[in-house]
Amino acid sequence: MLTMLTLAFLVTGFSNQSNAQLTGQQIMEKVYYNPSGDDTQGKLSMTLTNNRGEERVRTLTQYIKDDGKVEKKIMYFLSPADVRNTSFMNWSYTDGRGDDQWIYLPALKRTRRISSDGKSDYFMGSDFTYDDLGDRHPNQDSHKLLREETIDGQACYVVESTPKEDDYMYSKTITWVMKDNFLGLKREFYDDRDRLLKVLSIKDFKKIDGFWTILETEMHNVQRDHKTIMKFTDVKKNKGIPESRFTERSMTLGG
Amino acid sequence: MKIQTIIATLLALILLTPAMAQENIDITGYARNYTGVLTGGNNDFSIIQNTFDLKFEKNSDKISLKVNPYLNHYFDSDLELGLREAFLDMRFDKFDLRIGKQQIIYGKAEGVFITDAVSPKDLREFLLPDFNEIRMGITAAKVNYYFGNSTIEAVWAPIFTPTQMPDEGSIWRPSMIFPITPTYDYSTAEIDPQLENSEFFLRFSSMGSRADFEVVGGYFWDDDPTMHITKEIDPATMQLTGLTVRPEHHRLAMGGASFSTPLGPTLLRGEGGYYSGKYFQTETPTISDATIKRDYLHYMVGLDYTLAGVMLSGQFIQENILDYEQGIRNDEVESTITFLAKKDFLREKLWLELFTYIGVNNEDALIRPKISYAFADGFDVQFGANIFVGDKGRFGQYYANDMIYTKIKYSF
Repeated sequence: MLTMLTLAFLVTGFSNQSNAQLTGQQIMEKVYYNPSGDDTQGKLSMTLTNNRGEERVRTLTQYIKDDGKVEKKIMYFLSPADVRNTSFMNWSYTDGRGDDQWIYLPALKRTRRISSDGKSDYFMGSDFTYDDLGDRHPNQDSHKLLREETIDGQACYVVESTPKEDDYMYSKTITWVMKDNFLGLKREFYDDRDRLLKVLSIKDFKKIDGFWTILETEMHNVQRDHKTIMKFTDVKKNKGIPESRFTERSMTLGG
Repeated sequence: MKIQTIIATLLALILLTPAMAQENIDITGYARNYTGVLTGGNNDFSIIQNTFDLKFEKNSDKISLKVNPYLNHYFDSDLELGLREAFLDMRFDKFDLRIGKQQIIYGKAEGVFITDAVSPKDLREFLLPDFNEIRMGITAAKVNYYFGNSTIEAVWAPIFTPTQMPDEGSIWRPSMIFPITPTYDYSTAEIDPQLENSEFFLRFSSMGSRADFEVVGGYFWDDDPTMHITKEIDPATMQLTGLTVRPEHHRLAMGGASFSTPLGPTLLRGEGGYYSGKYFQTETPTISDATIKRDYLHYMVGLDYTLAGVMLSGQFIQENILDYEQGIRNDEVESTITFLAKKDFLREKLWLELFTYIGVNNEDALIRPKISYAFADGFDVQFGANIFVGDKGRFGQYYANDMIYTKIKYSF
């Protein structure tokens, strides 16, 4: 888990292939396989708003490195004060192994491995599950191109994805993929009773160091009417993050 | 510490704070009220404690400094000013050096101390405080050498710090039953601050995709004093006429290892330590000072699992005295089980937790349910209970100390 924060399914580059007869599967593969850089670093703020309009803010810095076989991520929590200097590291593998995860709690002065079977858990109390933010492979779902339509002035493919596994947390998702750059612009998540549960919207994106990058995104839980806004700042790509960033020493020392 | 000294120290801290902010010294901490009431008898307060805990940190690429003073104020107006940690870090390419008062934690066990023998314990309120408050800092020099995902750590502690036991009269004072009131002889209770009285620890640790593990060793003083007991017998009547209890710390050697590895969605943890040189109390009449030296094993196996959003964790722990003989007060094998269940609600604003120690030998237990609610970021209110089951054993001896408590904490 915590393969999140890359928002991989939404991060793409330009495609120069003909898009004339693309199927739903092909569209989602283009989204998945477009490059997002070998490494990424930046700051993230999450604003959690409940149905009474009360806000809570979490901030962290993160480093991500992907060598094609292992994606390593480390996060250093900055706020709120009671989690400050906590760090979290995740290694996820392309060979199907479960993720490895560690947490460093400064009060306990030690790094401990934690079990990682919590993809449906919500990240830091936000509206994003670990899986929402992860690198879900297109072969895990069956995809159907529903239609083409324009939203927010962007021509999009609208693709419905139904999970192949029986016990997945969503019965289906519907994704609006921009035609010109294969960037996901919006996604709807449906619960196990096929009711709309959450809507993810991309509010800001731009090219950074040659890669399209999400800078602001909102997840709205329409059933409970609370939402989470994620903002990415100081984002840098391909700066050569050393392997030593993803070690116990680094977790202990902080960001 | 005298109140005037404490007030002067606080004033100095307050006056220096703006200057420290200008120097980019990071200041964090918390203020907390902790109130506990015994549920038996007259509903006496077991504790009313106000804590102010500050951390000053200055970090640069190569050097960092951390000072963590704390102030406890008790309902009887006692003030306690202390330092949890105060150290200087020097970082080099492949190794770090930390010098000063520091907490050093070993092992993979939760809530029990197996190879975790470096930092002594503050047991003035038994095992009830947060573990970062139970573990005391020691003055030490620590070197960590890094290669890949592995670390070799060496610790030299020149000054011995013993376990901090509850004061006489405290409800948390462990029961020691003597046939007559003893006299205490503290002539051997202290370890002189001399070079040859240093403590040494060595640890190798590695983190990887399949497993994490540690191998540790240490040569140190037993944090808990052995009570050497001398009996005076009236030769005429052969009646016991006097008892002298002489606390003394002895050297221990320890070697151990721990690991944690994922088994699918489950995390398997294990830890074991071999202790050499431990003294145990014995009732064998032929042994003059009522103590006997035996090696012992201490080990644990544990599983962590998340089910329907509930974090579950269980541990089975055993202490096994080797070459056991009748008369030793401790059981040859003492088993303990711990269990933890924890779940959050309302987007991590509300947490429910149950932690339990179960003593198998004496059928005793400590049950610790608690509920905490985050009114705002950094501001938590906690309600909990500590329920002691049984009437003897490590937990049952405190059967009269069942309590409910509240903690109100603001972190900044």
